[in-house]
Amino acid sequence: MPRQLLSAYPPASARYDEMLDAGRVPREHWHTMFEQLSTAPAELMRERLQAVQRQVSENGITYNVYADSQGADRPWDLDVLPLILPHEEWRTIERAVIQRAALLNRILLDVYGSQYLLQQGLLPPALVHGHAGFLRPAHGVSAQGNTMLHLYAADLARSPDGRWWVVADRTQAPSGAGYALENRLIISRVFPDLFRDLKVQHLAGFFAALRDSIAHWAPHDDEAPLVVLLTPGPYNETYFEHAYLARYLGFPLVEGHDLTVRSGCVWLKTLSGLQRVHAIVRRLDDDSCDPLELRGDSTLGVAGLAEAARRGNVLLANALGSNLLESGALLGFLPALSRSLLGEDLQMPSVGTWWCGESAALEEAIGRLDSLVIKPAFPQLRREAVFGDDLSGARREEFIAQMRAKPQDYVAQEMVQLSQAPVWDRQHPRRLLARAIGMRVFACATPNGYVVMPGGLTRVATGSNARVISMQRGGASKDTWVLAPGPVNTFSLLRRATGPQDLVRGGANLTSRMVENLYWFGRYSERCDNTARLLRLALERMIDAVPSAADAGWSSITALLRRAEILEDEDDLDDVALVRALRAAIVDEDRHGLAGNLRQLFRVASQLRERLSLDNWRTVNKLVQDFAERKGQTLALSDALSEIDRTVVALMTLSGFALDGMTRDQGWRFLSVGRRIERLQFQCTALEQALAMPPCGSGAPDLDWLLALADSTITYRSRYMARPEWMPVIDLLVRDDSNPRSIAFQLKGLHDYLVRLGQSLGDCGAGSLAPSIESLNTLDPGRDLDPGSERLARLLADLQEASHMLSERLGLRFFSHSVLRQTYAT
Amino acid sequence: MTDARYHVVHRTRYVYESRVAVAQQLLHLTPRETAWQKLVAHAVEIAPQPSEITEHLDYFGNPVRHAVLDSPHDALTVSAESEVIVSPRTGGFVPAGSPPWESVRERLHTTAEARHLEAAEYLFESPQIEFSPALARYVARSFPAGRPFLDGVHELNHRIHEEFAFDDSATGVSTPIAEVLELRRGVCQDFAHLMTGCLRVLGLPARYVSGYILTTPPPGQVRMVGADASHAWVSAYCPQAGWVDFDPTNDLVVDHEHITLAWGRDFSDVAPMRGVILGGGDQELEVHVTVTQTVAPAQRRRSEGLAAR
Repeated sequence: MPRQLLSAYPPASARYDEMLDAGRVPREHWHTMFEQLSTAPAELMRERLQAVQRQVSENGITYNVYADSQGADRPWDLDVLPLILPHEEWRTIERAVIQRAALLNRILLDVYGSQYLLQQGLLPPALVHGHAGFLRPAHGVSAQGNTMLHLYAADLARSPDGRWWVVADRTQAPSGAGYALENRLIISRVFPDLFRDLKVQHLAGFFAALRDSIAHWAPHDDEAPLVVLLTPGPYNETYFEHAYLARYLGFPLVEGHDLTVRSGCVWLKTLSGLQRVHAIVRRLDDDSCDPLELRGDSTLGVAGLAEAARRGNVLLANALGSNLLESGALLGFLPALSRSLLGEDLQMPSVGTWWCGESAALEEAIGRLDSLVIKPAFPQLRREAVFGDDLSGARREEFIAQMRAKPQDYVAQEMVQLSQAPVWDRQHPRRLLARAIGMRVFACATPNGYVVMPGGLTRVATGSNARVISMQRGGASKDTWVLAPGPVNTFSLLRRATGPQDLVRGGANLTSRMVENLYWFGRYSERCDNTARLLRLALERMIDAVPSAADAGWSSITALLRRAEILEDEDDLDDVALVRALRAAIVDEDRHGLAGNLRQLFRVASQLRERLSLDNWRTVNKLVQDFAERKGQTLALSDALSEIDRTVVALMTLSGFALDGMTRDQGWRFLSVGRRIERLQFQCTALEQALAMPPCGSGAPDLDWLLALADSTITYRSRYMARPEWMPVIDLLVRDDSNPRSIAFQLKGLHDYLVRLGQSLGDCGAGSLAPSIESLNTLDPGRDLDPGSERLARLLADLQEASHMLSERLGLRFFSHSVLRQTYAT
Repeated sequence: MTDARYHVVHRTRYVYESRVAVAQQLLHLTPRETAWQKLVAHAVEIAPQPSEITEHLDYFGNPVRHAVLDSPHDALTVSAESEVIVSPRTGGFVPAGSPPWESVRERLHTTAEARHLEAAEYLFESPQIEFSPALARYVARSFPAGRPFLDGVHELNHRIHEEFAFDDSATGVSTPIAEVLELRRGVCQDFAHLMTGCLRVLGLPARYVSGYILTTPPPGQVRMVGADASHAWVSAYCPQAGWVDFDPTNDLVVDHEHITLAWGRDFSDVAPMRGVILGGGDQELEVHVTVTQTVAPAQRRRSEGLAAR
């Protein structure tokens, strides 16, 4: 069996193999796993693979790739096999990463403080003053707990002799810790027994330490500290992780315009006013953080943030300016800096790296170009790394000339022969392939020194001989298992006990942006439901019989389809064109219709991820994914119908979550207001179309469609057991406040929510509904429940107007979004 | 020569097309004190009244005022008024007596003498100063091998004055120097950027200085260019002589006709007003600067009509 397993797994001649020793025998810490893989039935492995893929897709784990034609939301690529590391080896890595984090923190404190290192000549001015990442407004910033580097990541690679090296430092806003956590949740479920038997160290303690340390250092006086996670927004490549970590750590996820600076402090704009923010975990680049003092062309930041940080009124993790240390040019200076600042030798070396700003280094780099990779010295240069041996002829001369023209912009780095690890071959039931890997290891600052996450993000290259590993270039990832020597340690927290002052009720932290998204989540889920029901109605009629223009009900349906812009005004109604338009409305998200509305729903839901339960999110995610798969297919009408049926059920599940799974806080009320407004408008429109039907002489009017559209057919039949007639139908759909689709029900609900919101937020416009409620209550059953009633027609028109105004008013008052702009005067 | 005493009024007015909901402004409108310059009196008035004003020194040691306006406004007026005494400072200036320019470059790049560290701040590219081969070619002519450093700077200052036309319609606050170099025209800010860039591309330390010059010259003297708005010039660092200021717009070695506001790497560090506003729509901006020489300290200042830009 092992033979088959290794049939496509090449021996590692010039590189280290993580799993096998030189005799192709599994290393000791791989024994158990290898045994499992050799003996597990093919079927079981297939199930495991599927489980991984299903979870990635159900949990909506994505990584946005800028250059990818698939664009945003590329699914995360996770291999089923973890990378396994023995305890003793991990201890070495851990100690080295702790030392390095402490060293880098000391350098930051120095550069943004006394600048002793510059004065002593331990750092050349070019690496500080000439570094676009050196932020002058961050100089003199107050560093709580003498810590500027709160979260740090080191990119490690293993050389053929088995030693680990640091390839790069991530000091600004390291990404990947959240993906590592998500990887763990999935892979530990796939191998539950192995995970337990091997005593794999848990990750949760690391995140608790991060959360508690930041809360500990946040300048919060006696208040419970409010920590937020600042994201550039959904278009960022790792937005999934921002939302995921925010939810996991319990920090509100905010964008720049959710925050404001007043009196030198940072405040969160919430529904109930400004709320003091004590710490910001940021995923926003340094220079985008404050358009007033830093890069002015960025609108992602918070004006005045640098000042608030200098005054020590807010903790920034990491501190402003920490990007400075991501320069590869620094690597060559670290050994001396370590001896000088820590009195210790560096425990783990950096991959040989020279800054070409020193002329000797430049000449050596040019002389040995073939064996080096040339990288930009500063991340701000935003250039790709160039492999010396890729260059020849004129291209090579040109590149050398560029290096000579601006040597300070380049570093030369030795090429690393990455180690290889097994990945499961997805094309073959039981076969391992070898892939080059690198590992990102995370450390966070605590009052007791740095702690390292036991298990990092293992990154997998696309081929076995790859020279670079880049998520942007389509790499995959692995869970990383660090084995514990004894019982698995659960981290003991330095967290202070929760006191009565910490108790929270009613979603006090709801940001204005969140409230806006909740409102639109309500509206779009209802809009999807209405659209689905309307399309179903049209399709059913088409399948039953060929509808004709003379058919009164049918003309109302097509009128509604036109209102929803599913049909265009000039479309003439031949069957072929009609079917084509209906199909497009179901599958084509670029057109008006179901797919388009679902896409909008998904967009809003993505912004709410940290507020939605995983089950709730999965429902939304699955809904959209199912549609994405159908994109471009030609559906048979019957398939289209069952597609819509499934959608309606899923949408009902969503409203179930809203009813039964969400706290009744202000956010929930905004969501409900959104639903009610949308449904009110749709029902009014549908009724108006019905009332406008041409009278049908002596026969009974065609009202089945109207009842179906309002999901009220069953109720009607159980009450009247007869063909629908105007008076009872209008009563049921307009006046009956026990019918959740009736006008009265929407109005009453809207009024109640607005009154409740008004109690804490001041008048929210409940009063504007009073005239409509009054005219509804005074409808005369004898005269007004009839298509000819003018009072009824006026009520419907007024309601549309009132609900429209209400929506505008809520938007202006609670969702105001304006973009900051920079100005200069000479 | 004796000290000169100046009265400066710098008035900035924004009129916005639609209301500004919130604004924050960072003001570099307070003349910094130096060995040759004393600030005798100073006041800044802002209308509407800001809800907060704080003051601090920026990284370069310039005084900064940070104003927050959090009530809606259609217009913003900032008036800074200063009374400044400036002493002569170029007493022993002999350009030809400075060391070869190459040695200045070596000195600042290879040694880490703490006393030159401040100058090392001004050796590199900065947000508005980008190096280019064209820039290096332009400056090369002024710095043949072995030329005394300040002699070269002096000649460069003169060349820019000769070869570039003053034209306040050709450029804006963020025009890159490459474009100025191509257009051969611009305003004081552009010339100061260009000259700063020229020196730095050679590895020589130069900073950007923002300030004022007399708007109303003494009788019989020519009115200087760039006097109606805030002015800008260049300061070059020579290890022996320290910082020496040059004004390429007026082909001058700066002495006591110039009032220093602030210095930094380029305009973006020391813009007199840099703001972030919410709302506002289109905006109109007017800047008036009036500098008068007070004849005797005791004498009341003359009332002076504002010269529109």
